[in-house]
Amino acid sequence: MEGLFYNVKYGYIEGIVRGYRNALLTSQNYSNLTQCETIDDVKLQLSPAYGDFLSSLPPNPSTSALANKTTEKLVAEFRYLQANATGSLSKFMEYLTYGYMIDNVALLITGTLHERDTRELLERCHPLGWFETMPVLCVATNIEELYNSVLIETPLAPYFKGSLSHQDLDELNIEIIRNTLYKNYLEDFHNWVNTQPDIAGTPTADVMTEVLEFEADRRSINITLNSFGTELSKADRKKLYPNFGSLYPEGTTMLSRADDVEGVRIAVESVADYKTFFDQTGLSGGGSGGVGNMSGGAGGESRSLEDLFYQKEMEISKLAFTRQFTHAIVYAWVKLREQEIRNITWIAECIAQNQKERIGNFISVF
Amino acid sequence: MAAPASQYKDRQFLAVIGDEDTVTGMLLAGVGHVTQPPDSQKNFLIVDAKTQNADIEAAFDRFVTERKDIAILLINQHIAERIRHRVETYTAAFPSLLEIPSKDHPYDPEKDSVLKRVRRLFGE
Amino acid sequence: MSGSGAREAVFPTRQSLGLMKTKLKGAQTGHDLLKRKSEALTKRFREITRRIDEAKRKMGRVMQIAAFSLAEVTYAVGGDIGYQIQESAKQARFRVRTKQENVSGVFLPQFESYTAESNNDFALTGLGKGGQQVQRCRETYARAVETLVELASLQTAFVILDEVIKVVNRRVNAIEHVIIPRTENTIKYINSELDELDREEFYRLKKVSGKKQRDAAESELERANEKASASKDQAEEEAADAGDSQDLLGDKDNEDVIF
Repeated sequence: MEGLFYNVKYGYIEGIVRGYRNALLTSQNYSNLTQCETIDDVKLQLSPAYGDFLSSLPPNPSTSALANKTTEKLVAEFRYLQANATGSLSKFMEYLTYGYMIDNVALLITGTLHERDTRELLERCHPLGWFETMPVLCVATNIEELYNSVLIETPLAPYFKGSLSHQDLDELNIEIIRNTLYKNYLEDFHNWVNTQPDIAGTPTADVMTEVLEFEADRRSINITLNSFGTELSKADRKKLYPNFGSLYPEGTTMLSRADDVEGVRIAVESVADYKTFFDQTGLSGGGSGGVGNMSGGAGGESRSLEDLFYQKEMEISKLAFTRQFTHAIVYAWVKLREQEIRNITWIAECIAQNQKERIGNFISVF
Repeated sequence: MAAPASQYKDRQFLAVIGDEDTVTGMLLAGVGHVTQPPDSQKNFLIVDAKTQNADIEAAFDRFVTERKDIAILLINQHIAERIRHRVETYTAAFPSLLEIPSKDHPYDPEKDSVLKRVRRLFGE
Repeated sequence: MSGSGAREAVFPTRQSLGLMKTKLKGAQTGHDLLKRKSEALTKRFREITRRIDEAKRKMGRVMQIAAFSLAEVTYAVGGDIGYQIQESAKQARFRVRTKQENVSGVFLPQFESYTAESNNDFALTGLGKGGQQVQRCRETYARAVETLVELASLQTAFVILDEVIKVVNRRVNAIEHVIIPRTENTIKYINSELDELDREEFYRLKKVSGKKQRDAAESELERANEKASASKDQAEEEAADAGDSQDLLGDKDNEDVIF
């Protein structure tokens, strides 16, 4: 039923995105990339896919410049899609940008807290997280002003409201603020895809629920693992867990009580995927080391938990393309592209720093 | 003939002049220190393509002469290269000046002021 | 006087000769000791330079590994954490203290790194994503900085030793090429001066004794003359006496004997 009118409204975008998806690098491309000796070779290998965007780079560009240019292409394509999106898809894409906005706002808050000139921060902001009132954020000179007059005007205002006061901005660690916002954002997004009349009950809702639940679980697990040995209390930790996801509520409750990696493992055991992850990383042995080290050093072939999460995310994203008539492919495409940029950066980094033995440590999906 | 203790007993910090990645890494290691307000002084300087040589020199001077609490000054070699004359003429023992490689500029022993002195001394 | 070199302004007396001889001996002992010190320091110095060379190369590798771990962070976090790190740096956790090591009487400072017990500024960095990489990167960089601190110790030792060796060598050379020759010159000078004095004295003595002899001869002659005139008078007297007595004898027709 949903397919009947989907193409009328969103068919063009869907077609474009599927086209973009086909332009993603394949394992063949990646294996060519890993053979490169210099960054220039990488540039050459990337030219079919990235063409114009890389041409302005100087010879042997730095890896960060490369990453910037590849991101630029993603942004340009995203902007094009956004310009053509209508109705719920347009809103959907706005939701996509909120995640980046959170990062940008966190950056600006940090800058304001330290009384830096926030203007120079604007260029550090992620372009996807750009919103019209963002330059206004720079007007605020103190945190109270920022909160009362500026943040309220941003699309993120609802995420601040109710969970963070302006005193919190001053006192809490920026990471806690960021994660609180992100939690609110994920919950809101999740809620939106399941209640929006246009979307609820469509494949979009199906896929996005899966994606967002995974994202929520991943955050919960990561936050738990990363908070060991820090001043973050268990009660505060619990507040950062999104209130949905396959781990919610039993898993998150157990996570909030976990004291070590073993505790986390027990908490996530109910979900087969995560249990497998933990088994694969060898964390179930109770060892505290090597939680997320990109299988660095002695780890050899075994992959880190973060790697496996990325892998899983990519698989979900890939599967999203098997569905028809869904907005989720836009999300999936953005995520795949981001991973691609990370892969390119990684490969370039390995080449630039002569660490060829680790070069295969990227996640290729296609 | 040894340096008097007063010259270094208060020196407990490291200072960094480097590109963003180097400084970030050093800060992660925990060398970063910002003195109490109001005159919050950082012990690190991030140099990018836009940074003026004069600013680097000013920071260099601040770290080696004004600040008495810095024991070691780390400077990226490619940045030292930009103020080479200052680095060459700096011979004091405290703070100790160390040229370090950066991500994009691997270490070149040929350019190091200290190693140059070593070579000169042994007439190589 | 040996005019071939500088000498000290002393009066050429036997006392200052004694002093100079002691000084020369002292200078030679000092020279030997300093030379030995300089050799010990130079040995140490060469060792340090060798270690610096090694450490600098090692540093290249260590820093590369560290830079790479930062790349891992960028990969895992999926963004730039630089600014956040810069802004959250407050109190140095990684500090150094300085202790001293005594090498042949030279105090070489050595840096020793320690971690201050202040709270961790970056504990929550990457909380949602990539936290483990951040922590690992922190450790990698901490190790790298430790290597750098070690290198800094060596380098400071290098700078100080360089200075000290220069001073010692300058002293050795000063003793060898200035003080010892000068003292020797002084001794020579004093000796020659003393010899000169000796010769003068001898000549004077000779002169004196010559004069004395002449005086003695003169006085001898005088005495002899006196003696002679005295004997003539006596003879005259005797003659007169004889005349008188002749007269007494009555032969007045005899001519007077005139001398």
